[in-house]
Amino acid sequence: MEGHRLQRLAAGLFAAASLMATGVARAEEPIVIGAAIAQSGIIAPYDDGPAKAMEIAAEEINAKGGLLGRPLKIIYSDTKSDIAYGATAAQDVIDKGANMVVVTCDYDYGSAAASVADGAGLIAFSTCAGDPKFGPSGIGPNAFTMATGAPGQAVAITEWAYDKMGWRSGYLLLDTTIAFDASFADFFTRRWVELAGPEGLAGKDTFGGEDPQIASQITRIKALPKQPDFIVLASFPPGGASALRQLRAAGINQPILASESWDGDYWLDAVPNLSDFYFVTYGSVFGNDTRPAVVDFMSKFEKKFGQRPVTSHALTGYSVIQGWAKAVEQAGTLEAGKVREKLEVFVDEPLLAGPTTFTKDSHINMQRDLILLEVKGGKTGNVVGIVKAKQMPK
Amino acid sequence: MIVLQNLIDAVSLGAVYALAALGIGLIFSVMRLINFAHGELIMVGGFTLYTLAGQPLLVMILAALLTSTVLALGMERVAFRTLRKASPATLLISSFAVSYLIQHIVLLAFGSRAMGVAFLPELGTAIDLGGLRIPLLQLVTIAVTLVLMAGLVAFFRLSETGLQMRAAAEDFTMARLVGVKANRVIAFAFAISGVLASIVSFYLVAQTGSVSYKMGVSMVLIAFVSSVIGGMGSIAGAALGGFLVGIVSVSLQAYLPVDLRPYRDAFVFLLFVLFLFWRPDGLLASRADRDRV
Repeated sequence: MEGHRLQRLAAGLFAAASLMATGVARAEEPIVIGAAIAQSGIIAPYDDGPAKAMEIAAEEINAKGGLLGRPLKIIYSDTKSDIAYGATAAQDVIDKGANMVVVTCDYDYGSAAASVADGAGLIAFSTCAGDPKFGPSGIGPNAFTMATGAPGQAVAITEWAYDKMGWRSGYLLLDTTIAFDASFADFFTRRWVELAGPEGLAGKDTFGGEDPQIASQITRIKALPKQPDFIVLASFPPGGASALRQLRAAGINQPILASESWDGDYWLDAVPNLSDFYFVTYGSVFGNDTRPAVVDFMSKFEKKFGQRPVTSHALTGYSVIQGWAKAVEQAGTLEAGKVREKLEVFVDEPLLAGPTTFTKDSHINMQRDLILLEVKGGKTGNVVGIVKAKQMPK
Repeated sequence: MIVLQNLIDAVSLGAVYALAALGIGLIFSVMRLINFAHGELIMVGGFTLYTLAGQPLLVMILAALLTSTVLALGMERVAFRTLRKASPATLLISSFAVSYLIQHIVLLAFGSRAMGVAFLPELGTAIDLGGLRIPLLQLVTIAVTLVLMAGLVAFFRLSETGLQMRAAAEDFTMARLVGVKANRVIAFAFAISGVLASIVSFYLVAQTGSVSYKMGVSMVLIAFVSSVIGGMGSIAGAALGGFLVGIVSVSLQAYLPVDLRPYRDAFVFLLFVLFLFWRPDGLLASRADRDRV
C-alpha cells in the first residue's frame, strides 16, 4: 500500500515536471498519446483494430493542422496481455512524455494502466472496456471508456425483440466465464420482465464456456412445456460458438440474440449455415453500414492496412482520439482537469462510435446507437437497423 | 424419458473424459509422470485439423494422428527421457514447462483468437429414437471409446509390448531386470497417448467447431481428476474415473436448482474430495502403489 502511494507521488511529480516542460515547448512539438495496450499475447487481437484506427484519427487531425496547432504522435508500450504489467506499460509511456494514455479494451486488462495514468493526473481512455466500473467508481475521475456498456447493449436488443419482433417468451442461456455476460444477462432479464412480465421468461440456464458439451442444457430446453420465441445467448466465441453449434444441431432453431462479442466472421465456420442469429455491435465492418461515416472509415482502414478490421471495435479507437481531441480543443489546454470538464458535458456528441454522452459520474455510454446485425444462411453482417436502449430498467 | 436422455448425455461426456484420462493414466502407470502437456497433444491435433481444413477428411485425420504422436514421442525424448531418474515432482514441473512452451509457440503462430473449423459437421445432426435425441457425434464417440478400450485391453493382454508395459506399470525396476527395454516401453506408451489425444481432439473440434491455443487445458485437468478418482497407475481405473466424472458432472448440471448451477464445478470437485476421504487410493488403486504405501 505504502509503495503504491509512493509510486503515485513519484508519477504525479513526474507529470507535473513534464507539464512544466510542455509549457515552454515550442509550438510545433508533438502532443504525445501514450498507448499502453497489448501488442502481444492473448489480448493483442482485441487491441489491434482500435490501435490502427487511432492512427487513422491522428493522421486526419494532423492533416487539418493538428491539435492546438501541434501535431499528434502516438507512442506504444506493450502490456504483453499481462494484467500486472499494464501499470508498468502506462508508466513507460508517461515517462516518454505522454499527454494522455489509451488503455486496453477490457476492464480487467486495462484498469491497472488506467489507474497509473489517472494517478499521474492524465486522462486515461479505454477503447472498448464495457464494464460500468470503468470510470470514477472503479478507477478514478480521469478514466473514461468509449464503449457502449453491456447493460445498454442488452436493453437495446431486448426492446427490439419485444417492440419490433413482437416476441413474448424468451429463454436465457448464460455463460458463467466473464462478468460482461453476467451483466448482459442481468439487464436482459430485468428489462424483459418489465416488458413481458415474469411469465415472459420461459426459463434460464447456465453453462461454462469451456465445457465440452451442453447436452443437459439442450435437454432442458427441449423439455419445456412450450418452446420460447427466442433465446438469449450471453456468451462469446469459441465457447459460445460451440454452444450455438450444439443448439442448432439439436434442432433448436429459434432466433438467438447476443452481444458485441459476436462481431466479425472468424468464428462462423464453427456453426455451419447459421441463420436467425442477431447481435448488436458498434458498426458493420462489411462496408454496408447505414451510416456513411462508418462506411467511409472502413474503406479508409482497408486502404491503409490492406484489410478491413476484424471487428467494429476499431471504431472506438478512432473515437477515443476524436472525442479527446474535441474536448482538448474546447478546453484550449491539455490539462486533465479542464479536459475532463469538457468531456463530462458531452451530450450526444456525434462521434464515429455513436452519439456520446458523459456525465460527472458516468464515463461510459449506455443509451447509444448500436447496429443490429443478422447472421443468415451462414453469412454475417446483414444489417437489420440501428437500435438504442430507450429505457434502462429500474 | 428425460432421465434416459440425461443418462445418454452423461455417458457420452464420460466417454470423452475416459479417453483423455486413459492418456494421462497410461503415462503415469509406466513412468510415474503426470503429463500436463497431454492437453497440448490434444490442442496440436486440433490445430492440424484447422490448418488442413478443406483437405480430404482422411488426410486431415491421419495428419492429426501423426502430428500428435510425433509430438508425444518428441516431448518424451527431449523433456522426459533425461529426467527419468528424477523425482515425480521434477517430472511434473517439467511437464508444465513443456505445456506452456507448446501453448506459447501456437499463440505466436496463430494468435489468441479462437478460430472456427468446419470438421465433420454431418455428425452434428441428431437421430430421434422414440423421443430420445441422440446426436450422431455422441454415438460415434461412445462407439470409438469402446472400440479403443477393447483394443487397448487386447493389446495389453495379447501383445508382447503390452505385456511388457503392464510389467513396467507393476514394477519398473523389476521389469528392467528381466529384460524389458525401458526406452521402448515408454516411447510406446507416449505414442499411444498421442493417438488417444488426437482422438480427443477430433471429438472436441467436431463438437465445438473451433480451435484455440487453450483448448486442451480444461480437458487435461478433468483427465487428471478422473485418473485420480479411478486410481493413479491403474489404466482401467482411469477409464472408469473418466466415465464417473462425466456422469456426475452432467447429473449435477441436470438436477441442481438454477441458482446453484453456475457453481456446478464446485459441487463436482467437492464430491470428489469427499470421495477421496473415503477411498484415498481411488477406485482401482494399482498394486504397485499400494505396496509402496
